Amino acid sequence: MSFREKTAWVMIVILTGAGLWYFKMIYIASSAMDAVAPIIPAFLVGYVLLIIIASIILMSMIAVASPEEADAPADEREKLLQDKAGNWSGYILGFGVIAGILHYSVNADGNLLAQLCFASLMLSQIAEYGFQIWFYRRGV
Amino acid sequence: MAKRPPITNRVKDLREAHGQMSQSALAKQIGVTRQTVIAIEQGKYSPSLESAFRIARVFGVGLEDVFGWEE
Repeated sequence: MSFREKTAWVMIVILTGAGLWYFKMIYIASSAMDAVAPIIPAFLVGYVLLIIIASIILMSMIAVASPEEADAPADEREKLLQDKAGNWSGYILGFGVIAGILHYSVNADGNLLAQLCFASLMLSQIAEYGFQIWFYRRGV
Repeated sequence: MAKRPPITNRVKDLREAHGQMSQSALAKQIGVTRQTVIAIEQGKYSPSLESAFRIARVFGVGLEDVFGWEE
């Protein structure tokens, strides 16, 4: 498995873990409010910090194991598959945002719209790495 | 499975004919990763024109001696 495929797997684990933590906190807050909680800055900062810290630790561990690959820039195939994965994941983000807007147009729940948009962003990021792994294995 | 491009290649044969050149050594000479050389050999990836020329030059042959078009 190449260094970049390993990093993609690690990012999927980190983003999924951080996303689950974030929505667990939002679920707890929403239950207490008896309505969908708004974007809470402390949770947002916690989510971002969790990703940054976990990324630094885990990526460093992978980079130490294969320093040459870690230093090398992405080659033409890797750039192509990263672009394609980014393109495909954009559809997930777009779908989630449009679904959120449609939901808002009916229910006028701004908090739910914000959480749906944020969830779509998280999902599209996870999917981007998933697509990268797919293209690494199946060809681009 | 992604649809394979109709481009064939003899990279593996040429590599083996050149003193069992390793995939890593070829990758280093043409400026790509070993995984990309593997993908090229397996027909999962068609290299750019620049990389195709680089591969041909490494083996000292013409482009059409390395790559072909499968009808």
